Amino acid sequence: MSAATTTEFVNEPLLELRRTEVRTDATAALAALDAQLPLEVPMLIGTELVRGDAFASVDPGAPSRVVAHAHAATAAHVDAALARAVEGQRAWSSRSATERAAVLRRAADLLRDRRLELAALAVRECGKPWPEADGDVCEAIDFLAYYAAGAEALDRGRALIQLPGERNTMRYVPRGVTAVIAPWNFPLAIATGMTSAALATGNAVVLKPAEQAPACAKAVVDALHAAGVPHDALALLPGGDEPGRALVADSRIHTIVFTGSCAAGRSILERAAKVEDNQFHIKKVVAEMGGKNVVIVDADADLDDVVPSLLSSAFGFAGQKCSAASRVLVHAQIADALAERLAGAIRTLQVGPAEDFATDVPPVIDAAAQMRVRRYAGQGAAAATRVAVANGLPADGFYVAPTLLIGLPDEHPVIQDEIFGPVLAVQRVASIEEACAKVDASRFALTGGIFSRSPRTVELVAARTPVGNLYVNREITGAMVGRQPFGGGRLSGTGPKAGGPDYLLQFVEARTVTENTVRHGLVV
Amino acid sequence: MLMDAEMGHDLEPAIAAIGRELVAAMPAARHTPRAALERRIMAAMVDDAELRAAVFRFVDVRPACADPGDLARHLSELLSEAEDSPLAQRGAALAGGALTKRPVAHAAAAGVKQMAQRFIIGADATDALPAVERMWRDGVATTIDLLGEATVTEEEADSYANRCEETLRVLHAASQDWPQRPLLEHDAAGPLPRVNLSVKVSALTPLLRSNAPERGIAGAQARLRRLLAVARDTGAHLHIDMESFDTREAVTELTLKLLSEPEFAEGPSAGIVLQAYLTESPAHLEHLLDWASAHPRSHPLTIRLVKGAYWDHETVEAVQHGWRSPVFTDRRACDRNFEELTRRLIDAQPTVRAAIASHNLRSIAHAAAYADARGADIELQVLRGLGDETQAALLSAGRRVRAYCPIGDLVAGMAYLVRRLLENTSNDSFLRAQAEGADLTTLLEKP
Repeated sequence: MSAATTTEFVNEPLLELRRTEVRTDATAALAALDAQLPLEVPMLIGTELVRGDAFASVDPGAPSRVVAHAHAATAAHVDAALARAVEGQRAWSSRSATERAAVLRRAADLLRDRRLELAALAVRECGKPWPEADGDVCEAIDFLAYYAAGAEALDRGRALIQLPGERNTMRYVPRGVTAVIAPWNFPLAIATGMTSAALATGNAVVLKPAEQAPACAKAVVDALHAAGVPHDALALLPGGDEPGRALVADSRIHTIVFTGSCAAGRSILERAAKVEDNQFHIKKVVAEMGGKNVVIVDADADLDDVVPSLLSSAFGFAGQKCSAASRVLVHAQIADALAERLAGAIRTLQVGPAEDFATDVPPVIDAAAQMRVRRYAGQGAAAATRVAVANGLPADGFYVAPTLLIGLPDEHPVIQDEIFGPVLAVQRVASIEEACAKVDASRFALTGGIFSRSPRTVELVAARTPVGNLYVNREITGAMVGRQPFGGGRLSGTGPKAGGPDYLLQFVEARTVTENTVRHGLVV
Repeated sequence: MLMDAEMGHDLEPAIAAIGRELVAAMPAARHTPRAALERRIMAAMVDDAELRAAVFRFVDVRPACADPGDLARHLSELLSEAEDSPLAQRGAALAGGALTKRPVAHAAAAGVKQMAQRFIIGADATDALPAVERMWRDGVATTIDLLGEATVTEEEADSYANRCEETLRVLHAASQDWPQRPLLEHDAAGPLPRVNLSVKVSALTPLLRSNAPERGIAGAQARLRRLLAVARDTGAHLHIDMESFDTREAVTELTLKLLSEPEFAEGPSAGIVLQAYLTESPAHLEHLLDWASAHPRSHPLTIRLVKGAYWDHETVEAVQHGWRSPVFTDRRACDRNFEELTRRLIDAQPTVRAAIASHNLRSIAHAAAYADARGADIELQVLRGLGDETQAALLSAGRRVRAYCPIGDLVAGMAYLVRRLLENTSNDSFLRAQAEGADLTTLLEKP
């Protein structure tokens, strides 16, 4: 991507929620949304609104509030959607990159016009607190603008070596119909990011959103359609596992873009590798599969910075980010001081509904997540040398108390597994070298952090760490499009770096044309 | 308004006269070898951004260094990073050298400690007492500020509040024996307490949240109420400091809420801070003045006008989030605002007391000239260590001056020290211009 496109791009400004009048507007937008609930989310296949077996998405903070009635797609719906998508692929890929970019920018404008309403929807449907829900809308807008510019740059091709007598050109063409399987934790941003990357590069998309967040996905799809993406080139198939499995298996799919759990990602990778008899291509899987993110705290770290950063990295949005901190390796010299301050600080966290601006930690997404996280916290508490828990859980809703577990052994499930909830484990190490070795022993490699004021230590950790995103002396969540391209290696994913200059290459194939320019022995 | 403008115009000769008088009264630079070395280092840092960054980072990490070896390692690493600074490279070689590293580490640690001692008058109230009393005897009032780690737990908030209470009691007991200093003990509005403590709401609660000011207010309320009661009972002044913009609303509303309570109508003497670098500061001042008019107190609310010390923080925060910056980006616009607020504040007497805190000679001379023209009685404030020369000049000019004096241990003092050093060496620093010998007419120019 040229330097020009990256300098032109500016992240969408976040809401300044520290101002009373902005909070008042946000609250009004939420009230306006509440008056419309429950929303209706049909399947969108071509221009048809298709109904099927209905399922509900609910407010995780008040599960009796139904946010949306969605209609679950079956394998038959997938078949119908793909038939349209093949048509859509022809029409959409024949548009110029400039035209497609203009459509995406229009979609960004539409999201921008509705940003409070969309943030309110993420607050309700996913229990995402206002600052993070707003960040989700902004990131969706960012992806549209960034990939629009990136696709235009990509369309100009790459320079090749030219020798006398031949002319070499290379250009990028769309791979083909793309299945997007989106998560609920960034219900607007990641759905938009994965979809818009495929669209920007000329691919038709069938989007299967998370079961917990169909209404957010519909808002994204509506904006893209309204902006000019042909209906055949973008289908929405709400539902559970069935449409997802059918999409992955179908021979008309060329690319599968997935963000979610490691187990689901591995099963997609396995299934997608199988080539059907009628399939003349190899499917590509772009997968982001979570992490077990470690923050290393050196003896010379400033605990005044460390404690607030750990709180926000581990407990922000109840720890339900792939990038969230779940394990701290602290140098023995300051381990007791850190434990003492963290234990006190966790008790200052207010657990409550996402819409309350005073909330530090919202509920987790659903009852299954609540049970899973509580099970881990319980197991951890039984084995830890010290436990600290935030108090004052609301009665209703899928709440889990933020939990600090100190002194667990390395082999404990709390240390090894991705919990995806507000649980933070702290272990002491004798040296930074030991910490690096422990990080290196992990099967995940998504994000990581180092708190140190020694330039050599920071260099050492940066060189040794396998993670895709290392954060130095700051919180380890909150990657911004164009500034912190996001994604990791090992079992955290296929590593294409969403929001970065290389991401779009996943959605294209390169075609090289070499022409002989010699006629009758003359170069013409 | 017209009158203000006319007075502002007429004021220029008086401003120039007061400015020249103050400069003439400033003590000559100290001629000890240490002072000369310090000046050389400061001067080098001003011109060498990489060296400056290395020195700041070293000061920042100094209290976390476990032993002299660790100290030398950090110093050497940080100086080596300043690749384009020959001075830093020489320092790095020394700090990393097998024979030189111990003495260098020792010297650097001592240097930081000495620097810190210029700004920080003692480890705790008792330790600081002799310095506070000496200043009082010399005719300089103080306000004490307790440095500490960030408050992230309720226990830390309790500990800070207890230290504040202890400080009030220790100073109260000691101040009984101080000699009379009429200028410092009385102004046009009435008696002025001898003991004056500045407190930070962010240290009184771990619950300050920029998006939910009510949490910080609820969290700090009981502790601040207790301190107000102790200040009232010991006859001290309690000043509530202002911090970053994120906490401005909580700090303001909490302070005004508590001071509105009947139990504090007769005391203590209390104050709040107005930051002139905030573009919205004129509206903030009107809000404070409206409150003061509606809540007559036996000790009028003191408003300390400052430029504001979190400029970098506010700017970075705004840029990274895509917000319009809450602070002036143009120095002259900021200076103009400072003068407008000064006049508004002085005009608002006796509803409030005005304390003008600045090291900018022009801002000080302007405030003094305007107050003189209005026959108003104000207080001027400086930072200990940074405004010592200004303080001496104001003292000899017979003006009321109060020094903001931090106390705390070395660990706690480093963040404060770094901020002060940055202020001293930043590009648009008035002190820097002054130190570099900018001519007096330029320094006193109308912004």
